[in-house]
Amino acid sequence: MDDIPGKITGNDRVTGNYRRLTVRLERSLGRVSPGQFVMVKVPDRDIFLRRPFSVYDSRGRTLTIMYRVVGKGTDALSAAVRRAPLMVLGPLGRGFTPGRGNTPIVVAGGIGYAGVRMLLKRLGDRATLFFGATGKDELRLAEDLGTTRVLASTMDGSFGFAGDVVGLLGHHLDDYLGKKPEVFACGPSGMVKSLKALLEPVRIPCQVSVEERMACGMGLCFGCVVATRDETNPYKRACKEGPVFNLWDLLL
Amino acid sequence: MGSLAVELFGKSLKNPVMNASGTLGYGVEIEPLWGVDTMGAYVTKGLSAAPHHGNPTPRVWEERCGMLNSIGLQNVGVDRFFSHYFPLFVERRCPIIVNFFGFSEEEYLSCARSIEPHDLIVALEMNLSCPNIKMGGISFGKEASAVHAIVRSVREVTKIPLIAKLTPEVKNLVEIARAAYEGGADGLTLINTMPAAVVDVKSRRVTLKGGLSGPLLKPVALRAVHECSQAVPIPIIGVGGIMNTEDALAFLMAGASAVQVGTATFVDPFAMPKIIAGLDSWLGASGLAGISAIVGATHG
Repeated sequence: MDDIPGKITGNDRVTGNYRRLTVRLERSLGRVSPGQFVMVKVPDRDIFLRRPFSVYDSRGRTLTIMYRVVGKGTDALSAAVRRAPLMVLGPLGRGFTPGRGNTPIVVAGGIGYAGVRMLLKRLGDRATLFFGATGKDELRLAEDLGTTRVLASTMDGSFGFAGDVVGLLGHHLDDYLGKKPEVFACGPSGMVKSLKALLEPVRIPCQVSVEERMACGMGLCFGCVVATRDETNPYKRACKEGPVFNLWDLLL
Repeated sequence: MGSLAVELFGKSLKNPVMNASGTLGYGVEIEPLWGVDTMGAYVTKGLSAAPHHGNPTPRVWEERCGMLNSIGLQNVGVDRFFSHYFPLFVERRCPIIVNFFGFSEEEYLSCARSIEPHDLIVALEMNLSCPNIKMGGISFGKEASAVHAIVRSVREVTKIPLIAKLTPEVKNLVEIARAAYEGGADGLTLINTMPAAVVDVKSRRVTLKGGLSGPLLKPVALRAVHECSQAVPIPIIGVGGIMNTEDALAFLMAGASAVQVGTATFVDPFAMPKIIAGLDSWLGASGLAGISAIVGATHG
């Protein structure tokens, strides 16, 4: 973990309100596990706290983040220009830990793709991505994946399976059950809840990356907790014990 | 070269900078970036006799110049702190201040009793912003008589120096400060967060009620330190919106013997080491023998 100054080298729209930010850091982030994140000081005086973003890619001194403009922090970030200075704290949290010999099923909803992209790159052709989008345009987020098999769903039915991504996974789940399946998911809380409902009868291993409002990103403030089944200490920090949790430990 | 060392309750701290309770986890979390012994002392997360789970989310909210929090005093309990986290401070020879709380007099007493004196324990810091369940949930810190009574009770069960951390949400803070002093407090920490709320205009609801911290609290805290430090003859630890060296100096000059840095660490995790280095260069340039020489410089 390090706090590294950097300069924006790219901040471009991918599609809709999704953007990709590249930063040239003074030093490399070092070893990043898929699913880890960084806290970014947005170059805008009105944005007081840092913002957490999944590491989309980290190569040498170049960091890439994919984000969706959803509030005042990401709005300010979208206005940041090339060469604008920012600070990047990371890598933070605990990422995905794929089990050996399992068949990986990756489930992403919308910007949740940014949280599993490094994992997909790591798993390569072993994985299948189930990608849920609102419409066809959003599928462009995953166009850089290469040869990984992608099954897509769109809410508006403009491409692939019409409906949500968990519904799509439901149609294919039986194909995986004899192959030691392991699910890795990142997406909105509604997606995670229905994923849990779908998997409940088969109880296969599932790791899920959660999203919470954060202040510090490194376990100092206890602001970003999620409720778990641990009765003695139910609230775990998304930034420290997470953001990746065992789905079966979470109280959703 | 002047010295940043300060003496607090008979113990020597290498500098007057410490974290505000609850803003540096259990201490171990900052270690990947800098050692806890960088600070004059570590202030524990608020501890209670029994563990507390804390509040559901949202627990934090950003404001333009600060933030709100409603963590709900989540902590592992005082016993677990000492068995699990205290050894790090022993290994680093880092003095600590033990912040603690209770929802009843009995809970304060049982927590204070359970803490054995130790070479590295500078003081106990009582969080007086907790609601007193027996008094219908009114915070202990709001009435001078209640402050006097609770400080006096705790004073009787421990030999460790006792600091009262006061809430600014009172009619007359100087009166509360005097009550704490007369109850037997050896020092005061001024101030805790201010009660605040966030309203979501879309849903027409209050999103979060919590304690306000950050730079917009600084002038409120400075006034509290300035006035109370002249009203009571015990050391004051100043806290509220300190973001940089100049802010820390302002608190020392207002009458604080030491300062606590909280929210700044979330914005810049190196805020404290930077402030300590900044105080050192300021002191060097000032020609003063020690940082203590400027404590209360604003007093007439």
